[in-house]
Amino acid sequence: MSTTLTNIQSRAALPASLIVAATEIGGAILLGAFLLAESTPLVVALLAVMGALFAALQLRPQIEEVIVAAFHDARGLATVLAVAIVLIYPFFLGGNTYALHLLIVSLLYSVLALALNFQLGSANIPNFATGATYGIGAYTSALLAIHFGWTFWATLPAAAIVATVFGFLLGIPSMRTRDSYLALVTIAFGIVIHQMLNNLSWTGGPNGLVGIPAPSLLGHSFMRPIELFGFRLPSQANFYYLSAALLGLAILSAKRLHESRVGLAWNAIRADELAAKCQGINVVWYKILAFGVDAFLAAFAGTIYAFYISYISPDNFTFLVSVTIMTMVIVGGMDNTLGVILGAFLLTMLPEKLRVFSDYRLLFVSVVVILFLILRPKGLFPQRQRHYGGH
Amino acid sequence: MTTPLLKLSGLGIRFGGLVAVDAVDLTVAPSTITCIIGPNGAGKSTLFNLITGIYRPTSGTVALQGDEITGLPAHKIAMRGIARTFQSSRLFEDLSILDNVIIGMHGRTRTGVLTALLRPAKSRRELEACAAEAETILRGISDELFARRYQPAGILPQADRRRLEIARALASHPRLILLDEPSSGMDDRDTAALMADIRRVMADNPGLSFLIIEHDMRLVAELPDNVVVIDYGKKIAEGDFATVRQLPRVQQAYLGQKAVEHA
Repeated sequence: MSTTLTNIQSRAALPASLIVAATEIGGAILLGAFLLAESTPLVVALLAVMGALFAALQLRPQIEEVIVAAFHDARGLATVLAVAIVLIYPFFLGGNTYALHLLIVSLLYSVLALALNFQLGSANIPNFATGATYGIGAYTSALLAIHFGWTFWATLPAAAIVATVFGFLLGIPSMRTRDSYLALVTIAFGIVIHQMLNNLSWTGGPNGLVGIPAPSLLGHSFMRPIELFGFRLPSQANFYYLSAALLGLAILSAKRLHESRVGLAWNAIRADELAAKCQGINVVWYKILAFGVDAFLAAFAGTIYAFYISYISPDNFTFLVSVTIMTMVIVGGMDNTLGVILGAFLLTMLPEKLRVFSDYRLLFVSVVVILFLILRPKGLFPQRQRHYGGH
Repeated sequence: MTTPLLKLSGLGIRFGGLVAVDAVDLTVAPSTITCIIGPNGAGKSTLFNLITGIYRPTSGTVALQGDEITGLPAHKIAMRGIARTFQSSRLFEDLSILDNVIIGMHGRTRTGVLTALLRPAKSRRELEACAAEAETILRGISDELFARRYQPAGILPQADRRRLEIARALASHPRLILLDEPSSGMDDRDTAALMADIRRVMADNPGLSFLIIEHDMRLVAELPDNVVVIDYGKKIAEGDFATVRQLPRVQQAYLGQKAVEHA
């Protein structure tokens, strides 16, 4: 009762649009400060601020409800403002190419984490092979570009199709197993792909593939800086916008699938496979489908990565990459798009920002992750119930 | 004679050396209630698992309205019109009560991945229509469930869990509903409400039949048109409750050989 009361009061006190604007701009400033922070005390202080915010959310769940309600009431503004922030963001980084690079990698990992979320978050399929499908996407597009002169835009769908085929190929044998055994099958698949990339001659072996040509759009090469209204953005900005567009696509796909019969069927399988079967859900098909969707999105991310770095090797797509992506989903919050993206940003940027600890870096990353999980045991932003009829 | 809704002929399954269900013949007519009774471990739930495709029978056939459905996978049998509840209720605990009912409509709805991605308006319309119907079903079963429809199903007390399972079963528009011990964990008032619910649902859905595994003898005495007794995997008696309860074989199965002799 008291919750509802506070709810009404705070909603009356602050208009939805103000809450939305404050949340989005505040989040963007916090992210920017973290990206540009050079000194370790500042990084630690910013992490403490984030920790305090999550502690506040945990202690006062109404805050989250108010914010979620505000975003629902002012959907249009929230979308427009978010797009605007994404578009102007590089201008505030003051030509810091390292910060831009971190952003691009974070965006690509967000896409990968969202891809895995279809399986791990929605349907509880522990797939440890997202790194492998990411690699298949990257290698397919790189090979097509280097040997056959395909453009970036042509390799995108080709890589997605090849990776999806591999996704289905992995999905079909996986259906004979479940839980830990399923996890083992996917681990094996990941290792097999990694070994093949490492040992085949036409994938370049351990040396990988070099000289992947930069993409271009309407005559503008992605190698060149963007010059706009007298401003000059470093060449990385091209890939920043590309990755942001891909993440937008991934978010849209995640939202549409989640709010459809397909998302419900996946959730039913996650909760109780046997009961799901008895509701007429073809469990095998929906699980294989989750493998396909995961591979499709992961391949997009792989293609952009290959063209961005212009050099790929098997070491970019190891088992460890798959585990990292899985951690992002779990830390961020299963089946919550915002949570998964936040998890991806946090886990991509933390190791970079804690470089001062050199050899103990990963230890500190783990400590931070564990602290966040103590603050928010179900992930930074846990799954929420669906609402219908304009609720 | 009209085609029976469900017809089991010589249905059986063996797990290694154990014959769990042994050559059971059973016919369920449209618009009827059949109760299956028998001691614990007699094979009643296994029989349900055979009918719903969770187990593949090793002998015999299952026919729904004359079509053989023996050995079809569980989801196909569900789509043919057999819905069920479970002995230890199996709800989608972390999903809302409303979502549980909507998932029951899976077999009647069509949206696939491509429709969801490329035609979101169509996909949303379908789900909104499902949500509206699910609300009607919930309101019909219990106002309490309707009021709590956005809360997770996992928090419900036992009696409400049973009701929600029945609501979910109804959502698929089935021709036959299998209830596995629906009254377990219910007090007298809940059981009376359950019987009223079943009668009302039958009145609302002409042709719908129930097959119920039950231990509560008040329910078995009042509700069914037909009672089937199972012991050691075999059907040992069938008929109305008053007749069946007098049969020595039935008393023996429930009370043991000695008790019947002393009686």
